[in-house]
This record gives sequence, C-alpha cells and structure tokens, in this order.
Amino acid sequence: MNAIMTPPRSTDAQPCVHLQGIHKFYGAVHALRGVDLTIKRGEVCVAIGPSGSGKSTLLRCINQLEQISAGRVFVLGELAGYTEIDGRMHVLAPRRVAEQRRRTGMVFQRFNLFPHMTAIENVMEGPVQVKNMPRAEARENAQALLKRVGLAELAGRYPSQLSGGQQQRVAIARALAMEPEVMLFDEPTSALDPELVGEVLDVIKDLAKSGMTMMLVTHEIGFAREVANHLVFMDQGAVVEEGDPRDVLNRPSNPRTRAFLSKVL
Amino acid sequence: MDIEKAAPDRLVPTRQADRVGAVKLNEVVPRRHPGRWVATLLLLWLAISFAQNVATNENFHWDIFAQYVFAPQVIRGVGWTILLTVAAMAVAISIALLLVVMRGSDNPILRTCAWFWIWFFRGTPVYTQLLFWGLFAVLFPRISLSLPFGGEIVGLDTKMLVTPAVAAIVGLGFNESAYLAEIFRAGFNAIDRGQLEAAQALGMRQGRIWRRILLPQAMRVIVPPTGNETIGMLKMTSLVLAVPFTLDLMFATNAIANRLYLPVPLLLVAGFWYLSITSLLMVGQYYLERHFGKGVDTIRARTE
Ligand SMILES: Nc1ncnc2c1ncn2[C@@H]1O[C@H](COP(=O)(O)OP(=O)(O)OP(=O)(O)O)[C@@H](O)[C@H]1O
Ligand SMILES: [Mg+2]
Repeated sequence: MNAIMTPPRSTDAQPCVHLQGIHKFYGAVHALRGVDLTIKRGEVCVAIGPSGSGKSTLLRCINQLEQISAGRVFVLGELAGYTEIDGRMHVLAPRRVAEQRRRTGMVFQRFNLFPHMTAIENVMEGPVQVKNMPRAEARENAQALLKRVGLAELAGRYPSQLSGGQQQRVAIARALAMEPEVMLFDEPTSALDPELVGEVLDVIKDLAKSGMTMMLVTHEIGFAREVANHLVFMDQGAVVEEGDPRDVLNRPSNPRTRAFLSKVL
Repeated sequence: MDIEKAAPDRLVPTRQADRVGAVKLNEVVPRRHPGRWVATLLLLWLAISFAQNVATNENFHWDIFAQYVFAPQVIRGVGWTILLTVAAMAVAISIALLLVVMRGSDNPILRTCAWFWIWFFRGTPVYTQLLFWGLFAVLFPRISLSLPFGGEIVGLDTKMLVTPAVAAIVGLGFNESAYLAEIFRAGFNAIDRGQLEAAQALGMRQGRIWRRILLPQAMRVIVPPTGNETIGMLKMTSLVLAVPFTLDLMFATNAIANRLYLPVPLLLVAGFWYLSITSLLMVGQYYLERHFGKGVDTIRARTE
C-alpha cells in the first residue's frame, strides 16, 4: 500500500519546516506574535488551541498563502518567498514561489475541490498542469491514489455528487498526487458530520504511519493524542507550550493550556 | 479500464415498469391543472386571430416581403451583420479578458490603464465613437513609427489600415469591451477564494490558474449576460451607418424601402432576419451553458 508514497528525497537531518520569529499583522490585528517552530522529517506535528489563536494563519504562512510580516520561514532548508541579501528580503518571482509550493501539500477545511472537474480530474490536475506529466500516467497514478483513500469507484463523479467525507478524501489524494514532502492540514474534519470524520481521520492516520511529515490543525484532541508525536498549543498568536503529546495533554505546565484542555476534554 | 465510465450504475426505472428490482414504485396520480387548459385555449384563440389579421392585412405588403426576404443585397447584409457581430464580440471578449486580468493585477500601472479604458468607453456614446472611428483616417492620415525629430522607420496610409469595416469592428468592439469587462469581473468575483488558494497550493502558476481553474468557473456566470450582450451587439451593428459603413442588414433594407416608398415590408424583412439570427445565437448559448455547467447540480429544487 505504501508503494505509492515517495521515499524521503533527502536523508539529511535538516528540519522539514523551520520557523523563526514569525509575526503576522492583518492591519492592526497581530495574528502571530513571534512563533518559533521546528518540524523534523517524519514528524506528525499537531497544533491545537482556541479559536482565533492563529493556527490557520501559521499553516498558511508555511506555504505562502499569507505573506509574513517578520521572521523567516524555511521549508526543506529553503527560505520561503525571499532571497536574503545583506539582511534585506528580496521578493522571489511568482514562478519561484510556485516551485516552492510544489513541495508542500495542503488540505483545506472546506475541501476546495475544483467543482468543474471530476474526482479523478481533480487529482490529475496538479501532475498534468504543473509537472507536465502525460495524461495516461497521471490518470493511472490518480486512480491508485483514489484507491488508497478508498474512492476507486467514485473517480468519475463531480464534487457536487460526493459527500463531505468523500470530497475531503479526494482533496487529500489531490495533494498527495504532487508527491509533497510535507503535508499541511487545516482542520480537515471540522466541516464534516460526525459520522464522516472517522473515514478522513483513518486516511490521515495511514499517511502518518507511512512516514509522511505533516502539520495538522485540529480540534479532535483524541486524534491528536493518537497520531501526533509533536503537539503544539497556541494561544493569542503564540506557541504557549509544545512537546510530546502525552506530556502536554496529561501534564500541561502552562495555565492557559490547562484552561483550554479542561474545556475541550 | 476507462475510469470515467466506471461511475456507479444508477438504478433507472423504465417508464413502463412500476418496479425497480424488488421495490414496487408508488402509483402517482399527477395533480390536475384545469386553469392551465383554460388559459392555453384563451391565448391560442388570441394568437390565431392576431396572426390571421396580420396575414391578410394589405398594409403589410406580404408580397413585397416575399420578394425581398431572400434578395441578394439582403442576404449580403445578413452576412455582413453576422460578420460585424462576431468580429466585434471577438475583439470585445479578448480585450475584456485582458482588462479583467489587468484590474486584478498588483501592478498599479496596469490597473489604472484598465480603469481608464472602461471609464472612457463606457462613458461616451457608441454613436460618437463610431463617428470618430470613421474620421480616424482624416484625423491621422498616416500612421508611422519614427524617431523623435528623426526619420520615419515604417509607415502606411491610415486609409489602408482603417477601412470602414475595420472602423466599424473596432468601434463596436472597443465600446463593448468596457461593458464585458464588468460582466467578466462579476464572474470572477463570484468564485470562492478557496479555489485560487487550492490551485496555488498545488504549485500552479498564475496563467494556468486563470485558464484552468478560474475561467471555466467564471464562464458559468459570464455566459448568460454575454449572450445578452451578443444579441445587443447584433442590433447595435445597425449604428455603423455613422462610420459610414453601408453593407449591413439595416442599411440594405432601408435602401430598398426608400426606393420603393414602402417601409413596412422591408422592416418586416429586417425583423425576420434579426429574429432568425438571435434564435441561432440562443441555440449556441444553450450549448455553451451546458458545457460550462458541468459539475454543477442543475436539477431544480422542487417547486410547489
Ligand atoms: N484576512 C484576515 N484579515 C484580518 N484578520 C484576520 C484575517 N485572517 C485571520 N485574521 C485574524 O487573525 C487571528 C488568527 O486567525 P486564525 O484564522 O489563524 O485563527 P485559528 O486559530 O485558525 O482559529 P479557528 O480555530 O477558529 O480556525 C484572528 O484574530 C483572526 O480574526
Ligand atoms: Mg482556522
């Protein structure tokens, strides 16, 4: 089953994602206040925290859907979005930014499948349009990925003909089709009915077992406990506490973490 | 295996069968609508008596209509009117797409240019613009590329470039582009921002995103009002008299009418052709809408 997964391309000990002092302002809103974070290869990093604490913003900064206001984002050893010359940040050409984004996959809370394409066309779109893969080959890969997420029979359906859980699994397959080295998930199950959450979490669990490096924002604390090997608790735009999930969840040292967990557990 | 065909079979009940598999379908008696029958009969009666009156009314000169409806100069006029419509819309659509991309770009020069273009062409009457294009060759007799204070590099007489047909197409197309740009902008604005982000997250470049993701989705919103504009353009071609361009349908039928001192039958000829072309355009629009509606559930909600 894991044959589809790409093996890690570089075996160095370099962190997959490395954030240094990230600040993000939306006008006067100070959404991120100096976040430092390192995600090592093969790590499953889960971010939890109250609504509005900046979890989505942080994720979106990693693949440059948001422009950071201060700090440095390194993805797979490369400075994201800029070249730094003499301490000044020169904005990269859009072409280079697109190239950088190819190495990370992203799964959105609201799926964001392309509604005018069938499930398999959604999965093929990246490889064909971005990597110029021949259609036949892309189709074969896409079919295998859909099978992997348990949707082999629904390949010809349009997103509007799929349930939420099925749509999200197609979205995961679409991201995997680009063979990313890091996967980012922003609350992948919070738009789903409770009985559909399990099917999506199972796919993510499989992915975690296969050794994929990922960062996941979720409100499913039980799931976090199960898959995470690095837990991050965020509050008011800052990482308040991080570490081994058992320690953070069972013996939170920070009062804000304790207050949050007492509400959600 | 062909994957697209592998969609699950739906259980389709045949009309005769009142059962699907083991399920016995309900026997449904549709609601009766006696009011509709009465209304239909009433309207039919009105329509027939009106048609009869028009058909036998001598003021309409149906013999003249029959004589001229397929006359060579009328057919040529139809051809030119279609050509003007199609060419002007092609010009308008290309420019409008460019304008939308310009307005959405983060380059302030491009944004300002697009804004200015729309402001100007929407803000002046098309008739005035057409007059201006007709005078273009007089105002600028020679178009040339030359060095400041230096000699001419290449040049040609404007008359060769801006013929009346070109003036008509450019005039109508430029004017229309400003309106279409607004329609297109609305179409692109209707797309969820998540679509752009999903495409960016895949590492797609801006051009591809526009072509593969945004345009096909915007088309669903754009096609109906653009069909409207195309039909409007069809009739707007009768203004090219201002250039003056004198081969279109309206000019042809007017010329005949003036010769015969019989405006009514020739107006009927013109109306007949405009209506025919419009019907043709509507068929095209139907297929375009069907194509770009892919993936959208168009099954209507049940109305009571
Ligand atoms: N586009 C924006 N413009 C202005 N403020 C924004 C924008 N996006 C986010 N914010 C603000 O930034 C802060 C962090 O938002 P973010 O979406 O990252 O929170 P979150 O932790 O993901 O919350 P949730 O759990 O509800 O998804 C919030 O205060 C939010 O109001
Ligand atoms: Mg969020």
